Amino acid sequence: MNENSWNFWTVASSTLNQMLRSATPVALAALGGLMTEHAGIMNIGMDGMILMGAFTAAAVSTALTSAALGIVASIVFGILVGLFFALFTVKLRSDEFIIGCALNTFALGITVYLSRTLFDSAGISNAPHLGDIAIPLIKDIPFLGSVISGHSLFVYLTWVLVAAMWLFVYRTPMGFWIRASGESPETLRTAGKDPEKMKWIASILCGVMCGLAGAHLSLGNLNGQFGQRMVAGRGFIAFACVIFGGANPVKVFLAALMFGFFDAIGLQLQSSKLVDADLTSAIPYVITIIMMVYVVVSG
Amino acid sequence: MNAFWQRIRQRFDFGYLVALVISLFVALLIGTVILTVTGYDTGKALGALVGGSFSSKLYFGNMLEYAMVLCLCGLACDVGSRAGIFNVGGEGQLILGALFAAQIGVWLKDVSPWIAIPCAALGAIAVGGFYAFIPGILKVKLKVNEVITTIMLNSVAVFICGYFSKGPWKNPSPRVVSDTSPLNRSFMFTKLIPASNLSTAIIVSAVLTFLVWYILQKTTKGYEMRLVGDNPRFARFAGLKADRIVIIAMVVSGMMCGLCGMFRVYGAAGKYQSSISNDYYFEGLMVAMIAQYQPIPTIIISLIFAVLKWGAIYMEDTVGVPIQIYWIIQTAVIFCMAGEKGVRAAIHNAREKRAAQREILARREGGEAHE
Repeated sequence: MNENSWNFWTVASSTLNQMLRSATPVALAALGGLMTEHAGIMNIGMDGMILMGAFTAAAVSTALTSAALGIVASIVFGILVGLFFALFTVKLRSDEFIIGCALNTFALGITVYLSRTLFDSAGISNAPHLGDIAIPLIKDIPFLGSVISGHSLFVYLTWVLVAAMWLFVYRTPMGFWIRASGESPETLRTAGKDPEKMKWIASILCGVMCGLAGAHLSLGNLNGQFGQRMVAGRGFIAFACVIFGGANPVKVFLAALMFGFFDAIGLQLQSSKLVDADLTSAIPYVITIIMMVYVVVSG
Repeated sequence: MNAFWQRIRQRFDFGYLVALVISLFVALLIGTVILTVTGYDTGKALGALVGGSFSSKLYFGNMLEYAMVLCLCGLACDVGSRAGIFNVGGEGQLILGALFAAQIGVWLKDVSPWIAIPCAALGAIAVGGFYAFIPGILKVKLKVNEVITTIMLNSVAVFICGYFSKGPWKNPSPRVVSDTSPLNRSFMFTKLIPASNLSTAIIVSAVLTFLVWYILQKTTKGYEMRLVGDNPRFARFAGLKADRIVIIAMVVSGMMCGLCGMFRVYGAAGKYQSSISNDYYFEGLMVAMIAQYQPIPTIIISLIFAVLKWGAIYMEDTVGVPIQIYWIIQTAVIFCMAGEKGVRAAIHNAREKRAAQREILARREGGEAHE
């Protein structure tokens, strides 16, 4: 066989592999975004939340030389960010749009400021990070093995979280209350539950999921790196996925997979050098716009 | 004298002014705390931050040019939000306007500046307007959330500009990676302070600013826009073509951003380069938010933040504090302003609750007395 020959199965498996990788941060953030969506809060601050999560994970991982502690820190910080977000959007009833925008800029400011002060550079590299996991048995299956096996922990964690989130939203009283707090807060109040409290919980959950998404970006997807442009609008793409999937965790995950698929196609085209890198990089964003339009047109 | 004060009181929202001053103060305090905790010479840093823009003619000129950019971007945001549509895509409109203006200048390099400059301005306006028209029409016809589409279009614009400035429109010189060819020197706006970014473009901007203020505050069109933005249903019942007004507001907003990009190229940079705008529109958006989308506060707050921005650049050069502290302070102002309303409402509610309780108590006691 000629070495230069273009092998469909290799390309297909590496594309699908990349799809799972690219979809994960978006899916994690979107799982958080659907909580705030259910609670009736328009959360466009996810981009900043992810960035702060990514920085916290990378910085703590570097400082304590432990990726695990970095992830724990990003979760704790996610809780704080969620509290901060809820303080303004729920308690003080500020404009969600303004708070979201401000949060994104604030995240850019504080992360790069701290990075430059603490590490003398606008980015972090070579923080201790997560290795890829080869799943026994599955990794030996010809095509499937190279697609599913060999990802970081976060990719598999996301699948578990999608199922858990679905159960939480649709099968637990708390999930029901959170949905009610957005759809019909007065009814919930009549039923003796405080809708504001539910919104606080949704906001904290969103902060945690975005923190995890950030930790995945810096410690799972990249090899322990942080850079100010690394989130690249994924928070907004996650928001679009939430709308596209009607805030249903499974559908939202499928939307994220679709984004991941087009991102992977773009990366494949880029490495094939057939199309200019700048044009292929624009694909996911164009797809997101098309997704937003499709969701309205279809219903 | 009393009548005079009454008129002033009617014209100005003193509550807003007090909130703004307190917010600025609190934000600077937060900045000071961060500077101290992270171990910088706080006194020196704050001095540089506040006074840096006045340290030399160069900084002063650059500061004024930056105020112009912030003001144009902030007003562009005002125009959209007045009609109830948030143009978050100004960054894309700005850089595309800059790219096309620069390239039109390259194409027309041999013609008279009297033809080339208007052509470039028209090109930038057309591109910016078109790029805002897409999310505008999607919002109006299909109710697609304009915040997401405009932000996605920003990213797309960055890649479009990257493609053209590295590819077909690249400066042929092999030493250049991603710039367009430099403009004919005679096309540039005259510098008001040599070597700085400040050029006669600021005069054009001032005229434009006045026009926007006049249209928004003093004409029926501005009033109609406000009606549509505040209550689209009512506006429709009143016989206004609400959809058309929203699209026009969005397109005008995009045109202003495109023109701002052209000013950046023809006033300061002399060519398109990726540093033509460094999220400047988002800073303008922050200014508009702090100004609560009102034109005159937008102008004043643009100046305040331009002073802080070039002060922050000066601070980075002299004291070594990362310039990002500027964003922290800017967003702190927004958080304070956004929270202020809530705090005021909470205090008001608490007071009402107490008054109500007192009334109930009084009534109960009164009732007992009757029995």
